[in-house]
Amino acid sequence: MWKAVKDREAGFLLPSSFATRIRSHRVASLDLSNHKEIVSPHNGAINSLQVDLTEERYLLSGSSDGSAAVYDIQHATDYERGLIAKHKSLFVVDKQHNHGHRYAISTAVWYPVDTGLFITGSFDHYIKVWDTNTTQVVMDFKMPGKVYRTAMSSIATTHMLIAAGSTDVQVRLCDIASGAFTHTLSGHRDGVMSLEWSTSSEWILVTGGCDGAIRFWDIRRAGCFRVLDQARSQLGRRPLAESTSKKGSVTGQSSSAKSMVSQRRIPLGNETKQLRALHKSQHLPRGPVVQRLHPGLSSTHNRAVAHYGAVTGLRATGDGMYLLSSGSDSRLRLWDVDSGYNTLVNFEAMRLQPTKALQLAVTQDSSLVFVPCLSTVKAYDVQSGMTFRTFCGHYELVNCCCLSSQDQELYTGSNDRQILVWSPASPVIAEVEEGKGGWVSVADQDNWSD
Amino acid sequence: MGSTAIPPISTRGTGDVLKSNKLVDNKDARHVKTYEVALKDKDFVEGPWSQNNLDNGAGLLIPVPMPLGGVIIIGEETIVYCSATAFKAIPIRPSITRAYGRVDADGSRYLLSDNAGLLHLLVITHERERVTGLKIEHLGETSVASTISYLDNAVVYVGSSYGDSQLIKLNLQPDAKGSYVEVLERYVNLGPIVDFCIVDLERQGQGQVVTCSGAYKDGSLRIVRNGIGINEQASVELQGIKGLWSLRSSTNDPYDTFLVVSFISETRILAMNMDDELEETEIEGFDAQAQTLFCHNAMHDQLIQVTANSVRLVSSTSWELLDQWNASSGFSVNVATANASQILLATGGGHLVYIEIGNGKLVQAKHIQMEYEISCLDINPMGENSHYSSLAAVGMWTDISVRIFSLPSLELLTKENLGGEIIPRSVLLCKFEGVSYLLCALGDGHLFNFLLNKSSGELSDRKKLSNSLAIAKEGELSIGTIDDIQKLHIRTIPLGEHARRICHQEQSRTFAICSLKNCQTITEETEMHFVRLLDDQTFEFISTYALDTYECGCSIISCSFSDDNNVYYCVGTAYVLPEENEPTKGRILVFIVEDGKLQLIAEKETKGAVYSLNAFNGKLLAAINQKIQLYKWMLREDGSRELQSECGHHGHILALYVQTRGDFIVVGDLMKSISLLLYKHEEGAIEERARDYNANWMTAVEILDDDIYLGAENNFNLFTVRRNSDAATDEERGRLEVIGEYHLGEFVNRFRHGSLVMCLPDSEAGHIPTVIFGTVNGVIGVIASLPHDQYLFLEKLQSNLVKVIKGVGGLSHEQWRSFNNEKKMVDSRNFLDGDLIESFLDLSRSRMEEISKGMGVSVEELCKRVEELTRLH
Repeated sequence: MWKAVKDREAGFLLPSSFATRIRSHRVASLDLSNHKEIVSPHNGAINSLQVDLTEERYLLSGSSDGSAAVYDIQHATDYERGLIAKHKSLFVVDKQHNHGHRYAISTAVWYPVDTGLFITGSFDHYIKVWDTNTTQVVMDFKMPGKVYRTAMSSIATTHMLIAAGSTDVQVRLCDIASGAFTHTLSGHRDGVMSLEWSTSSEWILVTGGCDGAIRFWDIRRAGCFRVLDQARSQLGRRPLAESTSKKGSVTGQSSSAKSMVSQRRIPLGNETKQLRALHKSQHLPRGPVVQRLHPGLSSTHNRAVAHYGAVTGLRATGDGMYLLSSGSDSRLRLWDVDSGYNTLVNFEAMRLQPTKALQLAVTQDSSLVFVPCLSTVKAYDVQSGMTFRTFCGHYELVNCCCLSSQDQELYTGSNDRQILVWSPASPVIAEVEEGKGGWVSVADQDNWSD
Repeated sequence: MGSTAIPPISTRGTGDVLKSNKLVDNKDARHVKTYEVALKDKDFVEGPWSQNNLDNGAGLLIPVPMPLGGVIIIGEETIVYCSATAFKAIPIRPSITRAYGRVDADGSRYLLSDNAGLLHLLVITHERERVTGLKIEHLGETSVASTISYLDNAVVYVGSSYGDSQLIKLNLQPDAKGSYVEVLERYVNLGPIVDFCIVDLERQGQGQVVTCSGAYKDGSLRIVRNGIGINEQASVELQGIKGLWSLRSSTNDPYDTFLVVSFISETRILAMNMDDELEETEIEGFDAQAQTLFCHNAMHDQLIQVTANSVRLVSSTSWELLDQWNASSGFSVNVATANASQILLATGGGHLVYIEIGNGKLVQAKHIQMEYEISCLDINPMGENSHYSSLAAVGMWTDISVRIFSLPSLELLTKENLGGEIIPRSVLLCKFEGVSYLLCALGDGHLFNFLLNKSSGELSDRKKLSNSLAIAKEGELSIGTIDDIQKLHIRTIPLGEHARRICHQEQSRTFAICSLKNCQTITEETEMHFVRLLDDQTFEFISTYALDTYECGCSIISCSFSDDNNVYYCVGTAYVLPEENEPTKGRILVFIVEDGKLQLIAEKETKGAVYSLNAFNGKLLAAINQKIQLYKWMLREDGSRELQSECGHHGHILALYVQTRGDFIVVGDLMKSISLLLYKHEEGAIEERARDYNANWMTAVEILDDDIYLGAENNFNLFTVRRNSDAATDEERGRLEVIGEYHLGEFVNRFRHGSLVMCLPDSEAGHIPTVIFGTVNGVIGVIASLPHDQYLFLEKLQSNLVKVIKGVGGLSHEQWRSFNNEKKMVDSRNFLDGDLIESFLDLSRSRMEEISKGMGVSVEELCKRVEELTRLH
């Protein structure tokens, strides 16, 4: 970092590249935090975690015990032995609360504009909008089934819609402004476990159903305009994004990298040929053609699936170019949003929870994706699919991960009721100044040996 | 490894297919691949050729236009020409090529410049469209080029980000040093300003900015001050000129023939010869071994030379010494003036001596002693007799006055106190349109004028012309305000190495810098870091301390400690080991300047890079990686001193920039904006008071006043935050509230309190605090904290100006100045664009009136308010 700071001030390194380089260095060094802990007040599995979008200061968690809590992740409530920052919840709303959810909270999200509101969805069929300052419910929506996921668009400027997926086949859009459902999106043949608003257009919503389909909706028009098909790929056409070459941080994996490249080279030629043939016969399934299909979509397209089994998680990259999906088939897929093609990036072997909605996280530069894999969290290189890191720390199944792009800290929630903080390597504990701190490290070591 | 620029390759084929090349770096190997851009599909298609395993340093692609086509790949050790049909390579001396420029339209010759500023010509030899080989030739040295543009007729513009840009001519024949490059013109570039300090070297109350500018071999110190730009017509290379006078060979000669040039220890005479060329000559009667204080033609074809010790009367025909007046020993002459028949001089101790010039004789007519030293004199004749004056004007040190004496009696007629602290530097008795005046110029550029009663010597009708300049020509004198001709005066001190930190020490009259020198060996490029001491007048290196291998200087301050009267230079360093991402070791070095040498007094090892040092309550506050650490200066039993850590504060990602005020510490973090810490004396602890929770990646911070702090961030924005010490809740008190936001469009490296203009106690501008900033692009700017009513007035003016002045290309000013980072874009607030407001003065009268109508304020009033603003810089 010292060299980067030096190069930045002399103009050798562009400020934007500086930030990217520092962030990727820090993300590459993520490990279980040695100086920060979140004290979970929950008595059930942690199902949802989100850091607020305005200041990235407040973490919101939702748990199976029907409670939701907020933590200040920038400002510790107290320090253990003067060094380990303890972040206790600022408040908890649980079943005891007058308007609390009766069953598990499956999803808890911040209102994207400020931290004055947050939204929880529960298996008790209700979606509730809370006032953060008074911790009172200001609005609720009764859904036809258990709520799996809610989502709000972080870039929306003209609407305040909560998209909600439930055990019901229909996706509903709840309007905070009016307190009513504005849209009912029909198309999925089973419940909808995952939802994601586009990061490039405030009108585009992506939903992943238990029927294995991923559907794109333009909420200004009727019907779904795209269904992702895992069999439609465009391999080899588009050169892999520059990010693969940019990452100086990904080192020490040269052998696996080479094997990856060679693995991928073989099918490359064949696929390209097939594709070109496909193009000729179909006259490009894009542009005006797609427009014509919409809203009805031809029945073959309409039945396409993205995963065998349920789509359990969706995450769009920050640039809006790619979509990542996880399925109960234990697959992670990378989709090119513009064309709707499956990029066929082979994410190395993993086992995913099949029955629960998963919350994935992607780094700001879209280079790494964090995926809850049973009791671990794995970080994969988005473009190559290689495992970058495996984070072991939870004792039971991990449900959600959330990355704070401001601090490059990863928060993970698990069935073991813990929220773990993974932070960039910091020599805080190792670096003990003479005199004052000396005994602390000794005490610390003693604790470890116990 | 790094990302690579990908220039588009020549268009070829059907027109809707463009080719694009790309260097793919996979670990150490580098390859070139071509892609076609299928415009219709908005997609890439694999291109016709590729080239694997190139030079590992290959980082620059030069597209070759048709008909040759293809691409030149510049590596660190080879240059390769590559196309679908040909592959030619030549080895080169290891270097990193920074820039290229195409010479011919057909693309057969290119100029290449590397990071040592060496210019090469690369030639593609070809027979028709078949490339047969490459040739490279060394041309010479220029600034380290960022861009090269071949203009025409062998004239090339070399644009540089790290040194002065140059206009060069490529000669057909090499000069004596074997260089084909002739520099025609240089264009000053201050960038990158990595650090700077504001000093008042001449002690006139006017600040000068001394910047660490440039990089690599073009590193330099630049001394920037407000001054006057003069277009040079002809020059003689002479260093250290102290004075200049012209003389005629006889009293009646219409033209001057001699130029007397005075240096510190000698005087030289230049004469115009028959060919109208200046040529050095000698006048026997003159003392050539002393500095000349004054020189003049006197009556009877005589010349006068006044030196510190004597007055010499010399015949202007025979050049012989006719008479000499010697100053009494111990009192050397300080200032002197003369007209054709009289000499008035002042020696040390306030002695004023009046001498009359006879034919071949000097007669001391009168001598008086004054209570203070004399700063300036004048006896310009105003009466009918153009050779004789009956009045003398004298400017004084200490009581800051001008006095009028009668001649030859040296009787005091009038005394006028000027007030203030700036001494009169020059007085002049003169006559405009038959009315006599006394003009008196102060050291700060202000000018007083008085009406002078010729007979009684009384002064009346005192006027002060602020920021004015008097220009005297033959028979006329014009007075203009400096604003019209004001210009920054920049002096360059080339260092040949990259200075990164600078500070000034008043007591030892020295600068200390942290610098680095790039050393290119055959195998690798290494950096050597130094702490160097420079004289603040001559800017010569007077002492050097070489840092250890891998050790870099990161911060430097001049400070003193409690219970110790000495002033020290403290230097913070880091050991940058190749295998470490973040330094884990550094040092704080404490130097004292003794006999012009840096003496290491104490050193303290730290657990990381010392990014910042501050003097803090007689102690030393260091920012070391993520920690703020306070050191006290302890006396050991053996009488030596050492730094001892007292307390610290964790909780930053990297504490890069630190400023202090009283017990408060303001920290600019790598990525977590500004936080405010407080040192508690009783507990001997530092604790966090408040913080800005926005994710600003800081590049500089400064404390504007007790409550308001200024920050610059990575996306070229400025912002201010305010401490809410009176807020009701802990939560609010713990939050620094953002009160101002602005897009500067420049990467700020450093803020410093200070000003480039004279701080005048009586002017309104003197009460407005200013901060100067320096940026990577070499911009020096001023931020002034305006009083609220003035802000409101100027804000209104700005909003009216925006309606009248259209941005280049119709771009919106409001949008450009909006605070803009990766996460948000918000309108600027509590900042005004001074450049825009000052452009009011350049508007035509009709547009001024348009704005005046919109504002409901008269044009004159508007001009006055805007001019007030311009005086801040």
